[in-house]
Amino acid sequence: MPGRRYLSIWFRHLITDQHIRHQPAHKNEAFVFATREKNLDIVSFASPAAVSHGIHTGMVLSDARLLLPDVRILPGNPDPGRLLRQIALRFNRYSPIVAVDPPDGLLIDITGCAHLWGGEAAYYTDIVTRILDGGYDVRAAIADTAGAAWAFTRHLKRPLIVPPGEHKTYLPTLPPTALRLSTAILERLRSLGMSRIRHILDQPRTTLTPRFGKELLQRLDQAFGETEEYLLPVVPPVPYRERLPCLEPVVTAGGIEYALTRLLEILCGRLEQEGKGLRTALLQCHRVDGKVMQLTAGTIRATCSITHLLKLFETRIPTIEPGLGIELFTLEAPVTEDAPPGQESLWGGHRAVEIAEFLDRITAKTGSVVFSRMLPAQHHWPERSFRSVLPDQSESNETWPADPRPIHLFDPPEPISVTAPIPDYPPMSFRYRNTLYKVAAANGPTRIENEWWVDTARPRDYYTVEDEQGARYWIFRSGHYEDEQPARWYLHGLFA
Amino acid sequence: MSYAELQVTSNFSFLRGASHPEELVTQAAALGYRAMALTDHNTFAGLVRAHQAAKRADIQFIPGARLDLQDGPALLAYPTDKEAYVHLSNLLTLGMRRTEKGKCELYKKDVYAHAKGLKLVIVPPEKMGGLFDLDTGFIADASEYREAFGSDAYLAATRRFRDNDDILLYRLNELSGKLSMPMVVTGDVHYHSKDRRQLQDILTCTREHSTIRNAGFLLHPNAERHLKTIVEIERLFRPYPSAVSRTLEIAEACSFRLSELKYIYPHEITTEGRTPQQELTHLVYEGMRRRFDDRIPEKIKAQIDYELAFIEKKNYSEYFLTVEDICRYAREQGILYQGRGSAANCSCCYYLGITNVDPSKFDLLFERFLSDARDEPPDIDVDFEHERREEVIQYIYDKYGRDRAAIVATVTQLHRKGAIRDVGKAMGLSEDALKTLNDALWDFDPGDFDDEWLAERGLDPGDPQLKKILGLTMQYMGFPRQLGQHTGGFVITDGRLSDLVPIFNARMEDRTNIEWDKNDIDALGFLKIDVLALGMLTAIRKMYHLAQSHYGKQYTLYNIPQDDPKVYDMISAADTIGVFQIESRAQQAMLPKVRPRNFYDLIIEVALVRPGPIVGGMVHPYLARRAGVEPVTYPSPAVQKILERTLGVPLFQEQVMSIGIEAAGLTPTEADGLRRSMATFKGQGIPPEAKARLVAGMLGNGYSPEYADHLTSQIAGFGSYGFPESHSASFAHLVYISGYLKCHHPDIFAAAILNSLPMGFYAPAELIDDAKAHGVTFLPADVNHSQWDYTLEPAGSGYSVRMGLRAIDGIREDDMLLVIAGRLRPYPTVASLLDAGVLLPALERLAEADAFRSLGLDRREALWQVAALGTPATHRKKEKDGTIRITRQLDLFTKCEKEHALEEGVLLPAMALSEHVVQDFATTGLSLRAHPVSFLRKHLDRLHVLSASQLLQARNGQQVNTAGIILVRQRPGTAKGVCFVTIKDESGTTNLIVWPTVLEEYRAAILTGKLVFFSGHYQVSQGVAHVIVQKAVNLNGLLSQLTTDAQTELEIELSRGDERDRDSLAAMPGARNFR
Repeated sequence: MPGRRYLSIWFRHLITDQHIRHQPAHKNEAFVFATREKNLDIVSFASPAAVSHGIHTGMVLSDARLLLPDVRILPGNPDPGRLLRQIALRFNRYSPIVAVDPPDGLLIDITGCAHLWGGEAAYYTDIVTRILDGGYDVRAAIADTAGAAWAFTRHLKRPLIVPPGEHKTYLPTLPPTALRLSTAILERLRSLGMSRIRHILDQPRTTLTPRFGKELLQRLDQAFGETEEYLLPVVPPVPYRERLPCLEPVVTAGGIEYALTRLLEILCGRLEQEGKGLRTALLQCHRVDGKVMQLTAGTIRATCSITHLLKLFETRIPTIEPGLGIELFTLEAPVTEDAPPGQESLWGGHRAVEIAEFLDRITAKTGSVVFSRMLPAQHHWPERSFRSVLPDQSESNETWPADPRPIHLFDPPEPISVTAPIPDYPPMSFRYRNTLYKVAAANGPTRIENEWWVDTARPRDYYTVEDEQGARYWIFRSGHYEDEQPARWYLHGLFA
Repeated sequence: MSYAELQVTSNFSFLRGASHPEELVTQAAALGYRAMALTDHNTFAGLVRAHQAAKRADIQFIPGARLDLQDGPALLAYPTDKEAYVHLSNLLTLGMRRTEKGKCELYKKDVYAHAKGLKLVIVPPEKMGGLFDLDTGFIADASEYREAFGSDAYLAATRRFRDNDDILLYRLNELSGKLSMPMVVTGDVHYHSKDRRQLQDILTCTREHSTIRNAGFLLHPNAERHLKTIVEIERLFRPYPSAVSRTLEIAEACSFRLSELKYIYPHEITTEGRTPQQELTHLVYEGMRRRFDDRIPEKIKAQIDYELAFIEKKNYSEYFLTVEDICRYAREQGILYQGRGSAANCSCCYYLGITNVDPSKFDLLFERFLSDARDEPPDIDVDFEHERREEVIQYIYDKYGRDRAAIVATVTQLHRKGAIRDVGKAMGLSEDALKTLNDALWDFDPGDFDDEWLAERGLDPGDPQLKKILGLTMQYMGFPRQLGQHTGGFVITDGRLSDLVPIFNARMEDRTNIEWDKNDIDALGFLKIDVLALGMLTAIRKMYHLAQSHYGKQYTLYNIPQDDPKVYDMISAADTIGVFQIESRAQQAMLPKVRPRNFYDLIIEVALVRPGPIVGGMVHPYLARRAGVEPVTYPSPAVQKILERTLGVPLFQEQVMSIGIEAAGLTPTEADGLRRSMATFKGQGIPPEAKARLVAGMLGNGYSPEYADHLTSQIAGFGSYGFPESHSASFAHLVYISGYLKCHHPDIFAAAILNSLPMGFYAPAELIDDAKAHGVTFLPADVNHSQWDYTLEPAGSGYSVRMGLRAIDGIREDDMLLVIAGRLRPYPTVASLLDAGVLLPALERLAEADAFRSLGLDRREALWQVAALGTPATHRKKEKDGTIRITRQLDLFTKCEKEHALEEGVLLPAMALSEHVVQDFATTGLSLRAHPVSFLRKHLDRLHVLSASQLLQARNGQQVNTAGIILVRQRPGTAKGVCFVTIKDESGTTNLIVWPTVLEEYRAAILTGKLVFFSGHYQVSQGVAHVIVQKAVNLNGLLSQLTTDAQTELEIELSRGDERDRDSLAAMPGARNFR
């Protein structure tokens, strides 16, 4: 097809540039990202400074260290594909057809776009400057075909804006690596001495396919424009955000509620369709005088229940001051989660939902999170044997140990005085807040040593004791009786 | 009252126990225990160590094991007598033989079948089943055990200070009454002292692949699994006093001691009704008659009779017969071998054909090595060709059976690096932090680290985490981590070997190991034969074959002409590439200084360039004395007797020992102990007590303090790295033989070595260049001419060496055998090889290697034709499948169009000579055409670079520039960070020395460069020359000019990894490297 124009962009240090954007201090430092492959740490990305020391992608990490002992090794496994997509979305203003060209480039169909910037040169300058300003080192080229633009970006010194039709003069001078070929084919071309594209063009076309497969001719034709190449443009996601403008400014609570209901219907309908549920909802009311009033609501589990969400907002609608009137409502779901519709069981299945919605309502009323949930934590040391979490983190693989532990723990443990036979027998009685408790039955000791990697607490001997009233206590002695420091006794918990 | 501890887990239950068996036994004795048992999980590996320690500490030691079963609660098993021990050992063997290495798979019924004579203690679960009751499954199992074992079964009562200990004990007592199965106290000991708890936690983390922070309930809640005082034990079990005293009952019943194990050497089959001793005498005399034709010299006869009498006294005749038999087998199979080791120095071994060095010639005295005082089994090592040793090993297995022969284990110990790694990982350090720590602590020595030491290494002495890690590392170092396979030490018994020690499957196929290592079997007096592999023997055998088939020479290890001055001339000139032992750069540097003139000089040469003499500072005094610069003096006549042969400088291990005996007055046993302790604490010098003993002894005998000091430091450096004289002698024999063949048959020598690779120091390119320098011509590998191996082809009056197909990298022998087998007549076309069944990838590789010249095709033309047979994508996929059929059928369908292969109009770019050379390097690592550097000489001239041959004309101290392809980078441990580099250009090789500071500055250039420019000072002394590097520049860029046409103006530099550069660079062989 005549007249098409393409722009190819090559981010020469995509990942490391991105890292420097976040960590400007690392700008001139040699650093690498490493991944583990087959029990070897392999350099996955190396910063320009590291490259200048001879470190390159695919190198074994220990070799890199040999070259540069203090090379900084960064954790994590950056995903160039995702990053490219993000960048591509920002380029939609330059053309509707922006395609990701992994691992480190973009391809843009700029046919009919450049004149809006006043020609290709201005267009080119604008786009490249923008990228350079963003902190990415970049090369770009414009040509008649995507393949040629790709080749020129990476292999042609100049010109970078190749006038229409001229790509055919430049391409033959470039090496076959400019053709986006698989390594197997490149390897074979290399061993046949075909170091330039013109060497390939010199051969009769019929001899090529049996030796290199269809790929070679296809790439060749794409670069020269003999066949069409279709780019797959990235599509920007639409945010979960709905607007409701009002003909007349709304001033009543009923009006606000009606508007909210309408917005919820639209938003929840869309969420449901996409298998999502919202975790937070943000209602914004734009007043005629320009002020914006807003309400938020949070839920413990992802939901798209209109009635439930409405209830969460309901009580607080009166807090919105309409002033002279509200002319625009927006409802947004900034935090959403996948919420597959899931088959509901015949009975009892809604219990968890009911509890969650109940908690949501209370939270909405009090305005802050007042609930926490205890989950077991794998620690012998009693103070660390549980953790409290937000109520929504309902899944836990850990189970409570079978050992009997008190229902209530004092924090910190309450000091007591005891009468106990040495060295480690249970006490016969203990005094807590001036009350004497006689021990009728006891079990123990259970000896728990400190977690030496965290602290240097003294070891404890725990006893479960029962007084004459049948109440049960969990008491412990901190330290052994034979220690230099005298042992101390504490009441740590109460059993139900 | 007293107590015997019956449940002890040592660190031979890998990653469970946190104390050495020796520590546990010593502690038990110190606490006044009557006895201690070792019950490691399904293993006997720690028994001998504990047994030895118990002998020293004078406490009863009960060998035992904890049997972890697949289908029931674990059992602690103790043999009451030898028969029961045999049962238990066989039980473990059974469990280990049926699964893979490191595992043991046992079931209840196996135990029932082997339970006779065993005392068995049932280990109950650590926790209650419900809140207040025992697990019902356990109760059922316990009754089943009671049924099966009767009165030999007990229930273990243990206080672990966990929840409900009292209730658990109460219920167990109840169960004990119900089943009338007595309860016995055990400590479930995992470490000898309370303070090992932290280390035990670390071990748990390593075992469970977790870190200390998330290990949670995997860790023990407290530190109670240590050995406690008897008073405490009595207190803890006050309600059950009989359970305490029952430990003593069991200890008494289990009176079996490891020392009762009777190792019986296998009865060798003798002929004509002779006793083993008579048979040995017969064979020795037969050997002598072969040598002397009945005119046996009196002196030798006397020596032989003396030795035979000694062997008879020690009852070692059968051991000698076994070794003789193995050697006889090798001889019959045409496998070359050579014996060495202490006993190998007796004349008997020489006449039995075990060794090739005549001890009478070199004054290697018999009694020095095998004396009464050193009451230890003789030690004969036999080296076999490395390619055929497996045959010998399988012969031993076949002859004695797998139940009578097995390989000794080696206990792999944790060294600094591994210990830091495990501890650091468990403490949650990142890989990066670990690496930093490990680098900083490269000379970590548990003896002497303090705050200052840490600060010097850039570590924060105030960091408690670091202190903890180092403290734990110190405890952890030296822990056994796994049982490995000894390089070739065999134990053979008369009866079943598994009666003595459990046997397990090695990781290698067809190999079985015993659970004890060399020291263990030494302690129990087992005999071991070392069956080792030696690459040079393979090469020598191949040389002999070639010598016979092409030159009609019948060489053996004995009949090589001795004392050939030409050979010594060659060796003295350091012209020794490929020669056994003396081909390394260090040896080559030494040879012109030593200038060996006879066989004994070779023995010294072999011993001299070893870490022992180098670290001990023996080399320079020896050279000085040899050169006559320093007078040869001896502090006393006694020492003179010992050191006369080495000019007063101790070079051999046994000289060191003899000095200890003669000069310091050590007993032979003490001297041997000294040698052993040095071998155990490798590189850590002599233990201080031994050192004091040495110095005191020598002062007492009237030696000057300086000499005593000097000598002890020499001995300390010696460590275990010195050679015994006997080993040197055996090696020197091979040095001479390989030197002789190199000197007289360089073509055969080169071909045979190239056919035996990998071995030695040098790459094929260097070996071939060296052979070319000695007038050998080489022909390139070719599909119509080459075999798999390098072969000799008649050329003119002599032979040329035809490169074998094995020279081509990346092809498989099976593929090439198809090429050779299909060669009924010369292959006319490339496609005809495909018809012979050769796979496409192999053809492509052959084409790349330019092996189609005999078809009139150069590599590109050949490749173009191969390419037409299939696209890379299709056949590469085939390669993975590995199926020939698919490829073949596919090609049959499309064959007709393939026939007219060279289509019209094809214009392949012509290939420059330099490109051919680069391709040669890419495919075979060498080129017969030219050296790549020769094409760059013009560029190098502009940099005022001298070639290797020009460099030889340089003056000492002259400032020079040189450049070449890096062959070797070495940083030996003895050289304190100095890096030795060897480079090569078209005229030869150059040796360079890079000091650490220079290396630091030019690190990247030196380490990544393939073609590197160096500038520095030329240094030459005593015929040894090298360049002291001051500056290095990476010239890799020049190399890329060899292949691609010069860069066009239009092109830009590729920044991403310089891919194109790497294409041509990849062709250059990577240098051998240090890490």
